[in-house]
Amino acid sequence: MGGILDAELFGTAIRQATPLILAALGGLLSERVGVVNIGLEGKILMGAFAAALGALLSGSLWVGLAAAVVVGLALALIHAVATQELRTDHIVSGVAINLLALGLSTYLFRQLIVPREEAGESSVVPTFGAVSLGGLENLPLLNVLLQDQSWLTLFALALPFVLLALLTRTRWGLRVYAVGNDSQKARMMGVPVKRMRYLGVLLSGALAGLAGAFLVLAATGQFRENMSAGRGFIALAALIFGRWHPLGAAGAALGFGFFEALQMRLQGQPILGVQLPTDLLLMLPYLLTVIALMGLLGRMKPPSDLGN
Amino acid sequence: MGAMLRTRVAPALLGALMVLAVLSALVLAAGKPLGESFQIILQGATGYPRGEAFGPLDAWDAVLHDLTLLVLTGLAVAVALQAGLFNIGAAGQLLVGALAAAWVGTQTGIPTPVHLPLALAAGALAGALWAFPPAWLKVRRGAHEVISTIMFNYIALYLTHWLVTERLKDPSGDAPQTAPIAEVARLPMLHEAFLQASWGLAIAVLVALGLWLALYRTVWGYETRATGANRDAADAAGAPTARRMTEAMLLSGALAGLAGAIEVCGVQYRFFEGFPAEYGFDGIAVALLAGNHPALTLVSAYLMSALRSGAYHLHAETGAPKEIAVVVQAVLILYVAAVYLRKRRIEG
Repeated sequence: MGGILDAELFGTAIRQATPLILAALGGLLSERVGVVNIGLEGKILMGAFAAALGALLSGSLWVGLAAAVVVGLALALIHAVATQELRTDHIVSGVAINLLALGLSTYLFRQLIVPREEAGESSVVPTFGAVSLGGLENLPLLNVLLQDQSWLTLFALALPFVLLALLTRTRWGLRVYAVGNDSQKARMMGVPVKRMRYLGVLLSGALAGLAGAFLVLAATGQFRENMSAGRGFIALAALIFGRWHPLGAAGAALGFGFFEALQMRLQGQPILGVQLPTDLLLMLPYLLTVIALMGLLGRMKPPSDLGN
Repeated sequence: MGAMLRTRVAPALLGALMVLAVLSALVLAAGKPLGESFQIILQGATGYPRGEAFGPLDAWDAVLHDLTLLVLTGLAVAVALQAGLFNIGAAGQLLVGALAAAWVGTQTGIPTPVHLPLALAAGALAGALWAFPPAWLKVRRGAHEVISTIMFNYIALYLTHWLVTERLKDPSGDAPQTAPIAEVARLPMLHEAFLQASWGLAIAVLVALGLWLALYRTVWGYETRATGANRDAADAAGAPTARRMTEAMLLSGALAGLAGAIEVCGVQYRFFEGFPAEYGFDGIAVALLAGNHPALTLVSAYLMSALRSGAYHLHAETGAPKEIAVVVQAVLILYVAAVYLRKRRIEG
């Protein structure tokens, strides 16, 4: 086992967890104000496509990043208008957004990027490089975990703490709590419920777009069809597993990222003479979430006003 | 009459216009001429206008294949929604149903007359079993069925992938697929020379009609629909709502599993890596468009199959991305949801 569980594995786990943390926290911001968000997957996918296209056309990673956020916001706006103005069922709207993102990103990819590849032009963009750790380089554990990580990963690692502070220590955070628990009462207390919901859903779209941007601008350097590959749903699982708490969700995302890293490491590599099926490792986040839903790990209580 | 025009006819016409507008925009953005493209889409969907190498029979082959699957997955989603449950798990239930049917179909020693029925029943049973945990979690633990069915989709994906690459793989080859199922376990064609559609289509249509009767002409159906309309009220009226929800979910899973079994026994004759589970998701659009009515599901499944076949034909003829159909489907879901499925709720 010594050769398997090394520091590099944990570094990979953090990298794999980055888009999961970003999307899970995005989902948290939406669900905490009562809007169910199963459209994270689609927003990650469209964000990844926009990041690739923006970076390719402009030659700038920052333009790609901005494009991903804008596209995430646009899809979130559809969700917000559909659920808040048109009173559409949250699940149906989320399903439609996932489908829209899958269809549109593949369509646009074939129209705009594949022809470039066929003409012999590269569709690979450079990626954000590793952030220099400065003084932290001498710390024994951190230096291994955090070396070779992009700023997006460091941002994702810091975000849960920032969110926790904002949610518990600011007026906005208390209002979020009020809206998520009983929107009627919150409204009577003078909280602008609709505006809070718009803000939560839009922030969620921006973070999911950022998660998509990470896949292209930090992880792989290029867009591939359906490259979100279920990460939006793993993020949703992390959110539930982490009980709608910023640190819980981020922690669960890190755990799920670890399974992915372990799975990548174990590909074709037997442990103690036994070939562990990687499919079963990939299944673990979903299985664990089901176990959590069974109530075996304590009561899973979503924000009471979710979905209304 | 005026109200009917305003609430029913106008939204439907507007929806059709919007679909045409989105379709036109996507065709134009793909750089294809509009009139010619619509002709090709129409040809792919219906066979007319006839092409040199493409006639109505070719169109019907594609349409009837999708129709069979979409009727069943559409019914699966619809019956659960009638009881107030959103089964997003039809894709996973379809996968386990398909693999179970393929497993039974490849067994030897099963008496010939029962081999096919057993394979289909195994598919339905596997689908129902796969839907049971989400149903149980919902009824007993209050866990949202959408979340648990999504989780079970992925568990099904990885489980069937593991089984078909490790355990049930055809030993005579390297490809990640099962051995072909026995000849006697295959669904015969409706008409040998004429239509490339199996008896699976007839089964799907019969199931739709049976479900129509069950939901609208029996006490069970009445209680199920009452549960979906307002669970508290149905509880108060003495309907066994937890039971009806569980049954609807199991039935839903069984229908999705049957869809997978029919695809194996009637079309593919084996299970393989990358089995088309997305029909399970397409069932959502079919059910929503039909307002969850089993008879209307036949109509909406046909429209969706024609759209898919048309878009695929356009892709084959001109190279325009076939995802045009996916985008149109997404817009259609949003439109139907926004116009017909608004929550009736008074809020300031």
